Amino acid sequence: MLRLVLEVVGRRLLTALPMIVLVSIVVFVILRAIPVDPVAMLLPPGATAEDAAALRAAFGLDLPLPVQYWIWLKHAAMGDLGQSIFFRESVGGLLARAFPATMELSLVSLALALVFSVPGGLLCYAQNTRLGRMLADLGIVTSLSVPSFLWAIFFILLVGVAFPILPFTGRISGDTMLPNITGFLLIDLLITGRLHDWGDAALHLLLPSLSLALSFAPSVIRVLRSSLMDAAHDDYVTYARQRGVGEGRVLVHHMFRNAALPTITLIGVQFGFLFGGTLLVELIFSFPGLGNLMVQAVRNHDMPLIQGAALVFCIVVLLTNAFVDALYVVLNPRLARRA
Amino acid sequence: MSGWQSALRAGKVQVGLGLLIILLLVALLAPVLAPHDPREQDILNTLTPPAWDAEGSAEYPMGTDSLGRCILSQVIYGSRTALTVAFAAATGSMLLGCLLALVAGYLGGKTDWLVTRMVDLWMSFPPVVLSLLLMVGLGTGVRNVVLAIVLVDWTRFCRVVRSDVIVTRRRDYVTAARLLGFSHLRTIIREILPAAAPLMITMFSLEMGIAVIVEATLSFVGLSVGADVPAWGVMIADGRGYVHQAPWAMIAPMIAIFAAILAFNLLGDGLRSALDPRLRTSRI
Repeated sequence: MLRLVLEVVGRRLLTALPMIVLVSIVVFVILRAIPVDPVAMLLPPGATAEDAAALRAAFGLDLPLPVQYWIWLKHAAMGDLGQSIFFRESVGGLLARAFPATMELSLVSLALALVFSVPGGLLCYAQNTRLGRMLADLGIVTSLSVPSFLWAIFFILLVGVAFPILPFTGRISGDTMLPNITGFLLIDLLITGRLHDWGDAALHLLLPSLSLALSFAPSVIRVLRSSLMDAAHDDYVTYARQRGVGEGRVLVHHMFRNAALPTITLIGVQFGFLFGGTLLVELIFSFPGLGNLMVQAVRNHDMPLIQGAALVFCIVVLLTNAFVDALYVVLNPRLARRA
Repeated sequence: MSGWQSALRAGKVQVGLGLLIILLLVALLAPVLAPHDPREQDILNTLTPPAWDAEGSAEYPMGTDSLGRCILSQVIYGSRTALTVAFAAATGSMLLGCLLALVAGYLGGKTDWLVTRMVDLWMSFPPVVLSLLLMVGLGTGVRNVVLAIVLVDWTRFCRVVRSDVIVTRRRDYVTAARLLGFSHLRTIIREILPAAAPLMITMFSLEMGIAVIVEATLSFVGLSVGADVPAWGVMIADGRGYVHQAPWAMIAPMIAIFAAILAFNLLGDGLRSALDPRLRTSRI
């Protein structure tokens, strides 16, 4: 079993590697089409054209595009993503600091989304009156129409401004000194035993992750419900019923296990949306993650940083796909036996 | 054509169409409906509360923003931006995506391999990240927003329509058409395209909803339409800056965004189940 999983993951990682290189080329080409001269912002007001040319040469911006890319790739392969033009700091360091925050946010959101969507899907499926089905249908379409940033603003207005109960800026209150062990605040604070701060960090995480989870859950609910509907007419379900197995047990022990597979595929495919959605949600909640960093980089035309951040986003999506594939093999005994 | 008739009778399609018609009317009649010019700044009346508030005035039914611009008028004119972007971007992505899907699905072989790899490559970008990158490269403006959405979302059409075309291509009537001596082009247009049409129309409607979200997202970041074009996303982004002084400023554009997406989703969802019952189980 373990060998099989490693094989699947290994195969996917091998195909992911050329994909990452291709992604970096796409990013590189798009960013070089930029109309703004990144050097112009760094020069003092009285600078001459020669000064600009000198600075451009210092950044290597006067070389042909393929040469620039080759230099970047050589450095990137050794883990050096260059210097941020705006922050005057290594891109790798900036990304490494922001990455755990975003990852923590997306994982908590994903967990919350599952908490909503598994019972939600079962509940929507179990509607056997016309009215119940209609309401379930209407509920799904309506909630699909609320993107994560609308939830975010809605929560800020409701529990941040109208009833100030929950915090809605940053990762933690005030200027609490943060431990930096894994970068995942909820883990670090737990390890160091600062339970009060842990609660504070969890409260800060609540609204952003809830916004993402609520916009992600409806599509999961919809797939789960339709997979359950498909399963309802399968022979094994009829057989289980004829054996006298109770309806609730049939639903949870027989149908749900099969309906879970397409649902996992969907989560894998849609994870990019959730992960990309962190960008705006982070911006709205001033959450110091990758998305916020990327928006700042975009506003400052900080190309090395934009490039690095975009690449990290894509790598995470590609790795998630590899992981979901492996999970699929583990959970689907038919695939596991065949290989 | 009974499929289309039953589609029109479906409740979701009717509500969705109704909402959409209201939105279209608002956009078309904006100069008549809006009480003010959306760009007009009334420096003496900044952050006025809405009319139902004790301090509000009837002159500005939804209040004003920090520059004294009428919020209602901005929302009304914003519908023009949103609908233009939604329609143009959905049309563009449908054309590009379906063209590639038809070519790939029909020809198969290397072409199919290449298109599929392209889709895979595109899908490894989170959509928001790719559209943001494209906006950085293209620069702001309505036309570039449309272009960015088309360049990101063609994959949605391509993926789904391609697998549909592959199924249709193997049907007997397509083989019969080829045996009768139809050219490849004629076979695609007369035999394969009509089979994929219901799917394309459904996805077109859903794509308009997605385009509204993307446009609002890009506006929010400040990388969308130009500064003087009223857009819902820009209004929300501005409103966030003075959320404590004027929380009402964000409510109208939020409702507008929600209503537009809901209209497109209801329409798309209703069409999906009415036109093609098989698709009820599909995952788009």
